[in-house]
Amino acid sequence: MAAIRKSKMISGATLLRLVLLAALVATFAIWNPAFISGRNLYALMQSFALLGMVALGLSLTMIAGEFDLSVGSMVAVGGLITLVIGAGNLVHGVVAALAFAVLVGLVNAFVISRFKVSSLVVSVGSMMALSGFAFWLAGGKVISTDNFDLGMALDDPLLTVLSWRSVVTLAAFLLVGLFMHYTLMGRDIRVVGSKPQVAAASGARVGRSLVIVFVLSAATAALAGSLLSMSLASAAATTGSTLMLQAVSAAIVGGVALSGGSGTPAHVLLGSLILTVMNNGLSLIGMGATGILFANGLVLMGIVLLDGQLGAWMSERLAMSRAVHSA
Amino acid sequence: MVGFDAAALGASLMRPERIQSTAVWAATVLFALWATFTIPGFSSGANVSAIMYSTSAVGIAAVGMALITLSGNLFMLSMGATAAVSTILFASFLHFGLFASVILVVLIGGLFGLAQGIAVGLFRTNPIITTIAMASIITGAGSFYSGGLTVVGQGDASWLGVGRTLGLPNQILLFLLAAIVLSFIVERTRFGRELRLIGLNPKAASFTGLRVGRTLVLAYMFAAMAAAFAGALYGSQAAQGNLKLGAGLDFDAIAAVLVGGVAIKGGQGRILDAAIGAVFLAMISNILLLKGLSLEIQLIVKGLVVIGSVILGALALGFRR
Repeated sequence: MAAIRKSKMISGATLLRLVLLAALVATFAIWNPAFISGRNLYALMQSFALLGMVALGLSLTMIAGEFDLSVGSMVAVGGLITLVIGAGNLVHGVVAALAFAVLVGLVNAFVISRFKVSSLVVSVGSMMALSGFAFWLAGGKVISTDNFDLGMALDDPLLTVLSWRSVVTLAAFLLVGLFMHYTLMGRDIRVVGSKPQVAAASGARVGRSLVIVFVLSAATAALAGSLLSMSLASAAATTGSTLMLQAVSAAIVGGVALSGGSGTPAHVLLGSLILTVMNNGLSLIGMGATGILFANGLVLMGIVLLDGQLGAWMSERLAMSRAVHSA
Repeated sequence: MVGFDAAALGASLMRPERIQSTAVWAATVLFALWATFTIPGFSSGANVSAIMYSTSAVGIAAVGMALITLSGNLFMLSMGATAAVSTILFASFLHFGLFASVILVVLIGGLFGLAQGIAVGLFRTNPIITTIAMASIITGAGSFYSGGLTVVGQGDASWLGVGRTLGLPNQILLFLLAAIVLSFIVERTRFGRELRLIGLNPKAASFTGLRVGRTLVLAYMFAAMAAAFAGALYGSQAAQGNLKLGAGLDFDAIAAVLVGGVAIKGGQGRILDAAIGAVFLAMISNILLLKGLSLEIQLIVKGLVVIGSVILGALALGFRR
């Protein structure tokens, strides 16, 4: 019975997000039929490739009960390293960007676990250092490249609506999802997030869990920046400045609790798609960047209110009314 | 014989929770002395003024941010957006006169803080995410209001922008005033005591009947008003406002709070520590500038100083989350 109920709850959560996604798509499609054209769905998946990758990494730190404020800065750094070091060969640039991200992730995790410092504090420092590094790499200008071939290859449409960029992001979700679901380390990460003291006492590998989530967070952000820079054939120090807000929203819509311990990559995937659909749809109906930013803020504020006391109060009222009906 | 108790003072300064703050106060003095004797031009009137001007707005935001940190709610990540929008509002209202413009800007900032305080203090929302969301809402609203353009002020803001009293920039005097007033409020009022107790242990504070919700609402209002005031300072220097002015203010304020030794877990630290943190960082940036290093290097060094100071604080305290 418990197993059946749990199964229903899981599928219910998935179903809820799928319904929300479908409702958004239907709404925007009715409003403007061009929304479901192949070209627009392709553009939508390109946006998803960037946001989804960042949300995936950030959500892992949140599941572990931590937070990485530096993902936005890391997107910029990843893009710049790719073009600066990869001036002659972009593959070298991508490898360098990922290597740098792994190093930063390791440093973050080390400081957090060894010195028992809040991840918010450490990642604020990292964000500032990375931001300065990005401006230094850029040298006060936009970096560009003449190597268009790889970027164009990455962006060639597949099946009309996909590209290698969005496929890479989907593949990343698949790999991380399998890791979280089928490995002991995945379980440890969740345990660390929900009950830190119990986790330490029961032998969950706290230090290693933190290393994995912060390295993945930095690496996915750098990879997102790297792929974006190759697509655009340019990179700037201010890239990614608004990504963290959207990534947080995507993770929470995807069921990641702000207090840690819950959430799955599959649901973060759906959360990312919901956010991307909303932004794309709002843009298509003529809302400017300002309005979309405002809408994103309202969505996140609404989410965070539901996640807090107001949500608890509403759940309580719902439970009471259900109890009355069943009596 | 009533005498100066050097031993007691020394013990106070070297308490584990005070080591980091004491180190920063000492480092500030030592750096200033070292730079005075080794860097040509550091102690010139023009350069000292430059340090004062770069300290003022960040310092005001930092002492406001310290209220949030003391309350155990970490940071308010909407200060940059509040300051940026406040530069626009300041320029828009300047035709009413300087004083009225500043008052209006600070009051509107208070409203921004009220919204966040209600969310965090009454609805117990996550303080980081709430203020990130509010930053987006404020920026969106500000952009809509200004049409995305720079707003040029119609009026004289020079008293605030470049004016001096007794030879000191008015901005630094206002920073000192803000630091002293907030320090008094935290150290000597019921609100301040309750804020610190909430930071130390929010559940215990609630059980003992402290007015947690109300105190947090007030803390967020004061912090947002400080950010708005900082925005007015930025706006007054150029007599215009746009969304880029003051945009990075929240991270500068966080850096000052952390470097100054206000405990991240809440409940410990003093408003004046955040103030000295702002002075220290402004001086570091100035020294790097005089040494010919770029803004980018300054940003990197500032980030590393933040991480280093937090590690120092954790080591000194044997800090356990």
